[in-house]
Parts: sequence; structure tokens; C-alpha cells
Amino acid sequence: MNRLKNKPTLRVDTAQTISFTYKKKTFKGLKGDTIASALFANGIRIFSRSLKYHRPRGLYSMDGECSNTSMEVNGIPNVNTEKVLLENGMQLKAQNVKGSPELDIMGFMGSLDRAMPAGFYYRTMHKPARIWPMALKQIRKVAGLGRISPDFRMTGEYDEIYPSADVCVLGGGPAGMAAAAAAAESGLRVILLEARPRLGGFFDYRQSEFSPGVPLHQHARELEAHLQKMPNIRVFKHTSMVGAYSNNLITAFQKGDENDDFEERYLEIRAHSVVVATGCIERPLLFENNERPGVMQIACAHRLTNTYGILPGKRAVFSIAHDLGIEAAVDLFDAGLDIAAVADIRQDAPNESLVAELAQRKIPYLSGWLALSAHGSPFKKVVLTTLQGTFEKKFECDLLVASAGMTPVTGPLSMAQAELSFDHHTGFFLPRSLPAGLFAAGRIMGLNDPQAIEASGRIAGLSAAAASGKTSETALSATRATLAGRPKADRGNNLVMAPVKGRKTFICFDEDTTVKNIKQALSMGFDATELIKRFTAAGTGPGQGGIPGHNLPLLVAQHHTDTGTRTRPTTVRAPLVPTLMATYAGTNHDMSKQTPMHASQKQEGGIMRRIGVWNRARYFSDDLSCRREIENVRTNVGMLDATTLGKFRIYGPDALKALQRVYVGNMSKTPQGKIKYSAMCNEDGCIIDDGVVAQKGENDYYFTTSTARAGTTVEWIRFHTRYEGWDFNMVNLTDAFGVINLAGPRAREVLAAISDADISNEAFPFAAYREFTVNGSIPVRVMRLGFVGELSYELHVPSSWMETLWEALAEAGKPFGIANFGLEAQNVLRMEKGHLIIGSESEQRTTLHDVGLGGLWDRNKKGTDTVGVVALEQTEQQDKRLKLAGFKMKNTDKPPKDGSIVVDDRIRGHVCIARYSHVLQEVVGMALVEDPLNEIGHELHIYEDECQGQLVSATVVPMPFYDPKGERLRS
Amino acid sequence: MALTLTCPVCGKRNGYEFRYGGEDKGPKPDGFGLTPDAWCEYVHMNRCVAGIQKEWWCHKDGCGVWFTTHRDTLKNLEVEASS
Amino acid sequence: MLDRHKPLWGKPPQLKKSYDAVIIGGGLHGLATAYFLARHHGMQNIAILEKRYIGFGGAGRNTAIVRANQRTQANVPLYKEALDLWPVLTKELDYNLMFFNCGNLNLLHSEAAVSAARMAIASAQFQGVESHLIDAKTCKEMMPALNIAEDITYPIFGAMYHPPGGIVRHDAVVWGLAKGAAKYGCHIHQQTEVTGINVENGKVVSVDTDRGTLNTPRVLLSAGGYSAAISYHMLGIKLPISVLNIQAMVTQPLKPILNHVISSGAYHAYANQTLKGEIATGAHMDAWPNYTTQTTAYYIRHQAQAITEMLPCLKGVKFMRHWSGLADMTPDMAPIMDGNNLIEGYFMNCGWGYFGFKSCTATGKYMAQFMATGECPDILKPFHLGRYAQHRLMGETAALVTYTADN
Repeated sequence: MNRLKNKPTLRVDTAQTISFTYKKKTFKGLKGDTIASALFANGIRIFSRSLKYHRPRGLYSMDGECSNTSMEVNGIPNVNTEKVLLENGMQLKAQNVKGSPELDIMGFMGSLDRAMPAGFYYRTMHKPARIWPMALKQIRKVAGLGRISPDFRMTGEYDEIYPSADVCVLGGGPAGMAAAAAAAESGLRVILLEARPRLGGFFDYRQSEFSPGVPLHQHARELEAHLQKMPNIRVFKHTSMVGAYSNNLITAFQKGDENDDFEERYLEIRAHSVVVATGCIERPLLFENNERPGVMQIACAHRLTNTYGILPGKRAVFSIAHDLGIEAAVDLFDAGLDIAAVADIRQDAPNESLVAELAQRKIPYLSGWLALSAHGSPFKKVVLTTLQGTFEKKFECDLLVASAGMTPVTGPLSMAQAELSFDHHTGFFLPRSLPAGLFAAGRIMGLNDPQAIEASGRIAGLSAAAASGKTSETALSATRATLAGRPKADRGNNLVMAPVKGRKTFICFDEDTTVKNIKQALSMGFDATELIKRFTAAGTGPGQGGIPGHNLPLLVAQHHTDTGTRTRPTTVRAPLVPTLMATYAGTNHDMSKQTPMHASQKQEGGIMRRIGVWNRARYFSDDLSCRREIENVRTNVGMLDATTLGKFRIYGPDALKALQRVYVGNMSKTPQGKIKYSAMCNEDGCIIDDGVVAQKGENDYYFTTSTARAGTTVEWIRFHTRYEGWDFNMVNLTDAFGVINLAGPRAREVLAAISDADISNEAFPFAAYREFTVNGSIPVRVMRLGFVGELSYELHVPSSWMETLWEALAEAGKPFGIANFGLEAQNVLRMEKGHLIIGSESEQRTTLHDVGLGGLWDRNKKGTDTVGVVALEQTEQQDKRLKLAGFKMKNTDKPPKDGSIVVDDRIRGHVCIARYSHVLQEVVGMALVEDPLNEIGHELHIYEDECQGQLVSATVVPMPFYDPKGERLRS
Repeated sequence: MALTLTCPVCGKRNGYEFRYGGEDKGPKPDGFGLTPDAWCEYVHMNRCVAGIQKEWWCHKDGCGVWFTTHRDTLKNLEVEASS
Repeated sequence: MLDRHKPLWGKPPQLKKSYDAVIIGGGLHGLATAYFLARHHGMQNIAILEKRYIGFGGAGRNTAIVRANQRTQANVPLYKEALDLWPVLTKELDYNLMFFNCGNLNLLHSEAAVSAARMAIASAQFQGVESHLIDAKTCKEMMPALNIAEDITYPIFGAMYHPPGGIVRHDAVVWGLAKGAAKYGCHIHQQTEVTGINVENGKVVSVDTDRGTLNTPRVLLSAGGYSAAISYHMLGIKLPISVLNIQAMVTQPLKPILNHVISSGAYHAYANQTLKGEIATGAHMDAWPNYTTQTTAYYIRHQAQAITEMLPCLKGVKFMRHWSGLADMTPDMAPIMDGNNLIEGYFMNCGWGYFGFKSCTATGKYMAQFMATGECPDILKPFHLGRYAQHRLMGETAALVTYTADN
């Protein structure tokens, strides 16, 4: 490969080659190449085929505004090869081609455009209706660009960091660097983001002079060296800004280089101020075949030559509208490119000395001319025309450098809620007002003079300093004076397109949307830009608004000249640069909690399940009916790790009032040494929690909630007392205490074996609360409860003692047949006992009355404004509510599956839980059914999924099913 | 982020640390004899103001305090009470 | 060239002084109601008032997912009819709504979720809607990209498979209904903002707009997420609504990889592949009211994390567009459809939350019947506003809704 050498602007190392594979061949590029520049250097001109028409596409810009050069790289689809540095061993594959990019058998699609006007899908393919499913298959097949394998697995690390800064500067060109320097010199902490792998922006590859004897590229390197000396500037190169949110939150992602331990890194930056210095890209020139390989923008040709040492063609025509185009022509001519002509849309005031440079080189300069059409594949001819299309000239050439002028990169400004409006002088959308802490500088403001750009950058940096209270008013006014002395914003070219009908004039490359399509949409009444986008798909492809975002509003405004509609920029949305899900996902740690018994439970065969934030043992064997676990609790004694229960202390003068506010019961009736079971409702009277309260001392209570409410109960109580200013404190002790439910007829014997306390039924009866020590030193809080319907002790112990206590009980319980039981066994045990689990036997709309717990509500409790009691009062006598009922199955030992529905001519409820009970030797369950179906003796008709209409029957019976008198739990 | 809120205890913090607690409707009316409509008005009905409203927030991932602040629902930004 | 195509929904009409009905909101529900009023009830002197452009709001910002596997028997028939109407309307409107009947997989991540799904499945089957419980292995066969390993945050236990569902090209529905309504003479006024609703003696008499006042005996409020604010600001009527922002995003287009819609309650995410090949995914919402339609950095990250646990190959795919829309949430996740009760001639159709798209066709049909006859059709009766004061929440969501602390 022949590269230009000895250019001071080169950014490739001609001494270091890198190998990569494409089309089963090995190619070589240079260190510093992007994938695209390396392919181009190897003579590759067609990189892909377009979405709809399979038109050949090649290098057009250099910053990835469209999918022309997107490829599959190492299995990852849609990699924008213009923005990714070449690495050894890369495997490249062209996308959306049948055959090769050069010879694509789908290429005939391009001739079908007449059959596919804007929105043609909507107007065809449904007549007759039966063709639609077939058409749909074809549409799916041809849609989409890249391909991902279902088995693809991303490798490498994806990092994330959340830095903060006084000012975040977007863009490492001259304005951005000047802003960063000025802010840093004022003492601010600065973060500078630059999308390219290097700083310098459009100075980096230019040879014209910043000041006498100092070319722009040299000046850029000097600026960079200056930044590097300042410790309060953090520079992130190869870092694309992707989101700007209110309160100056900036998101970006950085591509790792060979020295980084990550592939990509997500950055979320909180800054006090933001300086947007993202500069300009070129507005695509609209003419026939404007996207053919061989047509490229000015900076693309210029950077290929000066940055990568690749001459983009042999003989070129330029069709430009900006001084940068003339400068590039001169530069490329000197590098060895033959230039047939430079057509310039502008008829007035181009830079005289630049035009003289063209004359010196005998390059014809055609003022008031532009490209009309491009021809040949490979590219071989261009037709130029005058603005009105009156005259034409043809040129043989293999390169057309085409550009309608500059257009600012306003995405970050729009996203940050800056107000933009169209400026006729520059032809730019310029910021009219900026939110607090947001500043804009450089080319984005229409400036073109290098020193003016740098001065505007310094002003932005100093203004950010002023916003942080580190004013340097004299420096600010001096810099303002400098800017005032420099040339103002250039007049821009407002022309949108060549005098063509636009059948092959592409306004959006990604979606193959032509100017003709836009006109069709307009004529169909799609008059708002956003509607046109949706209808023609322009700007909705992989590159989003990168190519069409600038021309579309101008084109639409042209259509609306008669109606006087304001020219509005199209909406931009995050991510401003397409970003891998891997990068957004970052390190993605699963965060969940484990109880102190986690390892032990697993070791003992616990099959763990995620319950909210917790991991808990659901089964202890492969027998999912848990028969052994259940029977052991009923006959011997079992142990359940119930640590996940919510546990709280509430204390202070108004603690009782707070409890009265949220519990439906009268909590003043909680003598020390006793526990009180009660429930909490929401304002709808619907049950949200149940638990027990124990009074530990004066104005000092300990209470429990269900696992699900552990995280929100403090918030709930504070919310419902927020207007009162009551004096109480709450501590969430959920993680501080482990809980063991020791249950079964032999529970007392086990506990007695390790405790000196008197735990006889007389000394420690049902519903009592005790504190004592076991095994000599372990402090426990013990409650006599009976959720599973047996004699049971709920032992609350400081988490640090949990394992010790557990082991002591397990050891002491051996003679009594102690064994673990899990959540499913508990589920069956409590169901047999008729105890409900909120969320299982209740819905969002289920009141305390509906589940039969209305008795918990103390209606004589006065003056406490308990949450939910108004609704409890108003719903008490309502009919046709879904009510909880216990049932037994008729004539079957097979339980209906949970979630089966109860029906007659319509749905009347559903089965919450049903199991075969080994202790009762029949199927029992609970259902929520519309009353009066809940009345004892009613027959329920149960409809299971896939039952094909075969109903099963059950009878409503009283609950509890097991030990209805509660003798066992009181024993 | 995007939204930030000023906790009276912890200062200006990321909005995702907070829980929204509804429009400020004042203390609950006396429950005694409240009609279903009056009850519903307080419990369920919202003004859904498009503009600045006074509302409740809890600094749930911080100090846990409930407080009121003003926020412009058209901009999703906390504002000074006077504005 | 400009003359070759006729404007799809007619030339911009002149604003008349009086209409038989005025519909506030040029979204799916408003356009559908107008279409059915004009086509089925002969009421063709109708104005649809849209502040911006048709389809600006939820109509253009939704999931595009359609299904009829809701939880309760009040909801299922409405959504079933809506589902059945896609092919019918494609024909009637002569506009391809691009119904992609790919079926929906609602992933289940626990034993409890399986039980809850079974209730919805049994309810669907009982009401003649196809829906089945399938196991994780079958899920994997249907969707090879799915990760059914047990080492993810919420392992997949199975799915509720609903073959009749799929996706519809939402913009096409807007344009098709606009075309249909205009064909029968309805006036679609874009860039027309309603500034007031005038009531005399308990009856609607006129609507003020920034272009003048329109006399009318009937007004339908169907302005999506803006409805509650319009109701309060213009009539002082409060609604049990919180207006939240719900976010969605798409990846760059890919060749077919997802052959069904998937959704997951535990991961709080859905994903489907559009006919263009983009993976559309979303479901997160900021839990406080705001009208900005701003997206947040927080949720695009969460979405990437959730979706790549279920579909790990998508780590190699890029998000390219992220947007947000308004969801007007009610305490029971069911809409409010009511009329003629607070004010004669005043109808409302709002509170759809994030279900507005999949229901729009059937809702339009029955709201049109309601407005034309003055009698509420049986199918809409459960959705009346009074249910909140009567303590009759609809139970479409089994679990507590957690977006405010006071429910």
C-alpha cells in the first residue's frame, strides 16, 4: 500500500503494520488507522449495500454519521468502521449483501424505486388480506442491516465511572481545548471529552496558519501540551458524548485502547457547568446519486490525505460551498491529486487569496456551480450545473468531493434543552437562550476564523468559572475584546439541493429516502418534520439524524415558505451516538441479600429462590410436595430460617400514637410480656401487612412485618404521620437480627435443652414475649407464635449470634428429630391452619373484611385517624366482593393448580392455594370468590387451564382445616 | 439523575434517591362521617397540575425524612417556593 | 409531482362555528372515536382538535404491542375485540396497519408468578382467548436467544404464551384512522389548542380554542396523558390519575432474531423486534408526575442490564434512540371511560396508563356508541369514574401499585 509520507499531520505509524481479515483474505493496515481508513488504503471502495435498494455505499464522512461503512467486526454487527481503530486479527464482514459488496445479487432492487414510493407498505400488501402474512415474511427477511447470532456472547470488560467536575467540556477541538485551559487556569476541575482518538478537532489535519509561521496542526499540539501540564484537567479521548440531561448530567462512553483494561467504559458526569464545543460537520449536498462510492465530503478527503496518508483518488472534481473546500483542494493538489474543477455554490465573497491559490495551480474555479449528478460504478463521471440548472459541464473523474457547507453539531445543545433558532446569515441553528450552566463555543456558533474560535472557547471557559464563583472579570472582558477584533461568523450557504427532481437524490442514506420521497410525503399531507420522519423513515436509521437531520428541516421549510412556518430543527434523542448495550449495562452486578444461614441452608440441601431482595430456601428435597418436611413439623420439630421478616424498634413519647395510626388494632392494649397480632391497611382499607408488636419498655416497642414490607415500613409510618410533628424514632432492625422459627410438638424440649429460662407453658404461654439467654450467653427475644399451627417459638437473635444459635438448636434437637423446613413446607402448614399470606390470598383490592380479618379492626379506637378505617367502615356491608373462603375438593385427591379460576356463567374468583394435605388426607385450599359464594356449604366449580371445559368441584368449608380449636399451638 | 431534589437534611441529591409522596393535599380530613366522595377526593383525586406544584418526597435512600418541595412538572425541575 | 398524491386525511379544513361533537386530542382514541361515530352512527359533523400534530403523544410513543391476555373479565373482552379489529380495520380503512401476529411470551420468574399467570391463562381460555403456560425449555425452543440458565438474577421458569398477540405499526393506525375519519367528513384540526370548555346549566355548550370558539353539545376528552390536567385546569374536575413518564428505546436494525414479543414483570422489561428489524424495548417509568417526555440516563442503563440478562447476545447490539411518553396511571391500572354524569354532554376516555394503544380500536367503537346514543354500552360500564369512591377497584393489577406512598 502506498501511503504519503513525511506529512507533519500524519497520525499513522508507517513503521507498524496491523493484519486483519476481510473476505477470507488478510490485509494490512497501519497503527493509527481506523478500520475504514485501512480498508480504503487497501483499495476497498464499497463497504456495504444500502437497506432498501442495495445500492453500493462507501466512505462518505469520517465521523460515522451514517451506516455506509458499518460492518460486522468480530461477530458484532453494525460497527462503524470509521470510528473504531484497527486492531490485530480483526475479522471483518460486509453487511446486507448477497454475494459481495461489489457484486450484490440484490442490486436490482435499486431499479424498483418507482414501485416503492414513500409509505408504500401502508398502501399495498394488504389486498387481498391473505397475501399479508407472506409479504410480512419477506419484509422481515430484507429488513435489518447487521446480524447477531443467538449464541453470541460478548467478551471483555465493560467499565463504568461516575466522575464529577466543575465544568465538563464537550469537544477537544480548538474551542474546547481553549475553554478547558481557561477554566482550569481559573482553578476549576475540568473534564474534557473528545470523540476522536486524538485532540485537535479540525486544526489537527490542516496546514494553513494559525499565526505567522505556526500551522494549525502545530498549534493544536501546543494547546494539547498545555492541557497536559494542568493537573486539574482530565482528558477522555475516544469518548463519545451520548446524553445531556437536565442539571448538567452528561453521559458518554470511552473506547478502551490497548493500554486499558476495558473494551468500553460508561461515564456519567455530574458537572456544575457544561461547555458545548462540538464544532461542525458538513451538510450533505443533494444531487442525483449523491451517495455513490467515490463521492465524499471535504473533511473526509482532507483527513484521508493528511491524517492517514491516503490519496482518495486520482482525478477529482470538487463541489463545495465553504472555504474549507478550496483549502482542501489546494492541499490535495499539492499532495498529488489531479483536480479537474472546483465548483463553488457561493457567488460572492469567497476568500480571495484562497481562490488565487487555485489559479496558481491552474485549477478551474467555477463560482455559482454545483454537482448535478454522479455517474458510474466504479465512479467515473460527474455533471456540474449552474444554480438554476441552465448550463452543464461533464468531467471524467474517480472522486467527487461534495459538500453543501458546514452545519453545527447541535445535538448536545438540543438535548440539554437549549433553545435553537434558524439563523439566515450562517444557515445554522444557533442557540438563542441557554439553560443555566450551559455554554457554547467555537464553530458551533458559526465562527470560522481560528483565533476567533479559540477566543470564544476561552470566553466559555471563563464564563463557566464565573458560574462557579471563580470570576476573572478582567480576563473575560479582555478575551471578549479579542473576539470582537476577529472576523465574525461567515455567511453560510442556504441552498438545499441541486436543480434535480430527486428520484436518486438521497436525503437519508440509512433508509434510502430520496428527496422525491419527501415530496411525496408532503403531498400526502405529512407536513410536520416529525411526521415526515415517521412516514418516510428519514433519520430513523442506524445513524439517526446524522445525514438527514440538517437538510430535512430546510427542505420542509422550503415547502412551507407560503405558510411562514418557522424552520425548526428535528428532534434529537439520546444516545447521540449508537451505544452498545454491553456498555450501558456496565458491570451489572446482581445485588441480593443472604441471611447468616445462607451457606448452611444450601449445604443442607436447600433449593434457593429469590424472594424480593433475599435468597431463601424453598425446598429441602426433590419432593416438591415437601411431605417429609411437613410431617416432621407436625410430629417432631422443624427449623425455618425466617430472618427476612421485617423487624423494627419504635420508641419515643409518641411511639404509641404512631402505631395506633397505622395498625387497625388498639395497640395501647399491649402489655409487656405479651405480643399483639395486628394488620396494617392502606387508605382503601386493603390489607398490606400483618405482624406482631411487643412492648419492651415505656414508649418502646419491637414489631415485625412481612418480608415484603421490611424495606418500606419506616417510610410508611413517617408518611402517615407527616403532618403531626410527633416525637418518635424508628430503627429498621431487619438485618440486625436473625430469626429462627422453631416449630413442632417437641419444640419446647429442644429449647429447654439449651436454656435455663422457665419456658413451661405456664411460664411462657402462647402469645407471650420473653427475653433471656440461651447456651449461657446468647441473648434472644422469643415469641410464642403459631403460624404453622404447632407449638412454636420465634427466636430473634443478633445476627452475629445467628449461626451459633442455629447450630446449638440443631445439636440439641437431634434426639427429637429436628430437621430443616423450607418456604413451601411452611406454605402448606400455614394453609392447613387457615393462615393467610398477604399477596397470596389477597389482591390489591382485598380489604381486611374480605380476608375475614375484620375482627382485628378496633372500631372503638378513637381519635387516632387510623389509616384505612374510613374505607373499612364504608365497605363493611358491601356485597359482591371477592372474599376469602376455605374449600375441600370433592371426590379427588388431586389439588387444582394454584391460579385456577372459579366459574359459573362467568368468572367468580380464583384458587389462591390448594394442596393435598397428608395430615388431613384430603385436598384443601383457599380461594377468593365473589360473595355469597364464600358461604359455608357452597359448591365451587373450578376451571383449570387446559381443562377443556372439564370442571372440578369443591365445597366451601370453615377454616382452619387443621386443629380448629388451636390446641396444638397453645400446648 | 436529571432531577435533583433538596433534602432538608442532606442537601441537593440525585432524584432517584427519593420517593414521591403525592401532591400536598394537607392533613387528612376527620374520618368521622366522611362521605365516600369526600374520602375519595382526598385519597385518590389529583390536580395533575401542569406547572409548579407543592408535593411530598421522602429521602428514602438517605436520611429517610419526608418533606415538601415545589417542582415544575413541565420541566421536571425543583423550583424555589416563591417562583 | 406534488399533485400526484392526495392528502391522506384531506386538505386542512376550515374551522366551523359549530360541530355535533368535538374531540379533544388527535391521538388514537380520539381518531378512532371520530371514525366510528362517522361510519357507524352517521355523526359526521365532528371536529378533532390536536394541539400539535396527529399522533404526537402516546400514539407515537407506545410499545406497539397488542394482546388480550389481561387479568380480569372486565378487561379481556374489550382487548379481545380490539385485537380482532386490526385486520378488519386494515380492510375498512384500506390502509395496512401491519399487524404482525407473532404472539407474546410473558416470562415467569418464580413459582408465584407461574400461579399468577395460570389465573390469567385460565381466565383467557374461559373467555375464548388463546393463552398457554409453557416451560422454560419450550421458551428456549421458540426463542433461541433466550437465556434459561439459572445463574441470572431472575431465572426463567416458563412463560405465558399468547399466540393471538403481536405488534402493530402504531403510526399506521394513526394515519389510517385519520384517513378514515376524514373520508366521512370529520375535520382534523392540527395545531389547534383547546383553551377552555364552556358549560351552561350543567350542559356542555362550546369549546374555546386558540383559533376561535366552537359550539357543540358533546365533548370527548381523550387527550391521553394531558387529559387529567385539561380536566382540572378547564373544568376543575380532579381525576384519580398520576401522569408519569414511561420510557422506551430501540436498537439499530438487525436481521430477525426475536420471533415473538417477550415481556417480564420481574425484570420490568419488554422487547420485540419491529418489522424494520429494530429491537424495541422499555417499560421503566419515573415514579413521579412530569409532563416533559424527557428520557433519563438511569433507565437506559437499567434497560440494558435487564434485557441482556434475558437475551445476552444483545450485548453486541447498539441502542440508537430513546424516547419517553406520558402514561396517565390510575390506582387500579384500568382506564376511566365515562360520560354524561358530571356534566351533560361531557365524555371522558383517559387513565389508560400504558395500555392505550392495544385498546384504541375497541374503545373508539364503544365510546362512539356511548356518545351517539347517550347510553353507556355494557362493555364500558365497569370503567366508570365512580368506582374509586365506591371502593370497587378493578383488580387489573394483582399487586399493590407502588408509585405513590398513599395507596
